[in-house]
Amino acid sequence: MKTQRDAFFESLYDIAFQDKDVVLVSADMGAPSLDRFRRDLAHQYVDVGIAEQQAILVATGLSLGGMKAFVYGIGPFVTYRCYEQIRLDLGAMNVPVTIVGVGAGMSYEESGPTHHTTEDISCLRALPNISITNCSDSVMASAMAANSLGLDHPSYVRLDRQAFPVLYRPGHDFSGGLEVLRQGDSLFLVATGNTVHDALALAGELEAHGLRPGVIDVYRFPINPELFREKTKGAKILFTMEEHTLPGGLGSAVAEIIADYGLGLRLKRFGCDFSRGLCYEYGGRRRLQELHGLNPRIMSQTIVDMTRSL
Amino acid sequence: MDMAGSGADLEAKAHEIRKMTLEMCARAGTGHVTSGFSCTEVLVALYYGGILRIDPKNPNRSDRDRFILSKGHASVCLYPILADLGFFPRSELDRFCSADGMFGVHLQHQVPGVETTSGSLGHGLGIATGLALAARKRRENHLVVALLGDGECYSGPIWEAALFAGGNRLSNLTAIIDRNCMSATNFTEPTLPLGSLEDKWRAFGWETRRMNGHDFPEIFQALAGIRSFRRSAPLAIIAETVKGKGIEFMSNHCLWHARAPKDQELERARMELNEGGDSYEDPA
Repeated sequence: MKTQRDAFFESLYDIAFQDKDVVLVSADMGAPSLDRFRRDLAHQYVDVGIAEQQAILVATGLSLGGMKAFVYGIGPFVTYRCYEQIRLDLGAMNVPVTIVGVGAGMSYEESGPTHHTTEDISCLRALPNISITNCSDSVMASAMAANSLGLDHPSYVRLDRQAFPVLYRPGHDFSGGLEVLRQGDSLFLVATGNTVHDALALAGELEAHGLRPGVIDVYRFPINPELFREKTKGAKILFTMEEHTLPGGLGSAVAEIIADYGLGLRLKRFGCDFSRGLCYEYGGRRRLQELHGLNPRIMSQTIVDMTRSL
Repeated sequence: MDMAGSGADLEAKAHEIRKMTLEMCARAGTGHVTSGFSCTEVLVALYYGGILRIDPKNPNRSDRDRFILSKGHASVCLYPILADLGFFPRSELDRFCSADGMFGVHLQHQVPGVETTSGSLGHGLGIATGLALAARKRRENHLVVALLGDGECYSGPIWEAALFAGGNRLSNLTAIIDRNCMSATNFTEPTLPLGSLEDKWRAFGWETRRMNGHDFPEIFQALAGIRSFRRSAPLAIIAETVKGKGIEFMSNHCLWHARAPKDQELERARMELNEGGDSYEDPA
């Protein structure tokens, strides 16, 4: 299986090879798939060192100067660390730089919370003009390299560090921002990024309980509210799943649509509660998920109980 | 667009701009007057002294020089200049900070002639490094000039950008540091010494020069050759200035960082400016 990062950079290499205005700004970050870019397209590769604020600033200047700039780094460092640069220089001025953050959720599992990217969707969702694509497979990651270039606003591509089975066919149209991957009736699991794969597995298991859950992959924020309403028509209860802090994340975004549009749906959010501290546990990503709100057994039981009580 | 003027013309222009700044801020009851007065001569030299190549009729033309006012609170001095040059109607100055106006206290990128939003400090130089790098990669010959406050040099991103520019030998980039030795609430040296900024910039790989930031001959001497790309390093010019220059009672007083004079203060400020000027007539 190909990682999202390799898929993205292989695609970006091909684009940059053809378009000499494409430039990649790295904050001392490498990747095997990036070595070829650095070697063959050295003139289009800029390393600012471990200085993510400068990475965003230099990318802003490159973009204002007519180039097509990507900034690459580990998720928390290219989002929270340089939040004001993103807010003012990209968001407020609407400069079409693409930020590429690797390590979605707790995918830098043993590196601890300094490297976990578990608040970025909340943070960036609050800013003007910026779209977020949380990739759930390598086909989507590959498509985002080209997709980002066509945007007239800043964007953030959120990549998982691990490889996952492919969900989409090459050439898939990712303009909608969400996709129903499994049809359901009155119950939907709404997931994003890596949890889409967990939601598909969970939906299969729930059939043993006589349930027919649908699964929706929300890969873009802001969520298209009209499309979301259309795809969840007939639903009575939604369960959101995110490897991300609960305040401001996927569950919050769905709750906003339910509230703002008066949809009258039940909603239960599964995600991380870091209100008493970040994740300093180790022992593999599954364990971290189970400790932080994404225990499959508990989620399954909760879904069964809440659906039956409707 | 070259607009080189004589020394006397430029001094008169600086005086006129100060008056416009004062009246604009007094009308609105706000604005960082003293921060603007600190860099008035530098801005006048850049915009009227034949340094910056810009086109008020076509503010976004691709070959324009890029001027980044990183100390965006000095917008109160830049806006009158841009209006005077015809980037937008002078009547906009009357609407400063008003509901139907084009701009407020801090610099906005939407205003014709303005490159970037500023007001939060420490951003401008980093953006300027990106602009300079883009120009070099695209083989464009325009200049990139950034004006920084010395108080701004407390912020980390300035030094991230300084290191980047020095290391990448961005010789098309000039930074002018408005060294008035004051930040918002105090003098810099007793608070937390910035020390020799020349030594610091040189240590980051920049060529450095020093000038009296209120003296036109010195300013032009320091700016001499900035369009020559034979330099191998970016250029940092330390402009020794007085915060509030032109109005004695507002100069070097922290009280005036974020205040516009009113009533008797305003009358006194007008009087001081008129006494200091050669041929100024009140625009009101």
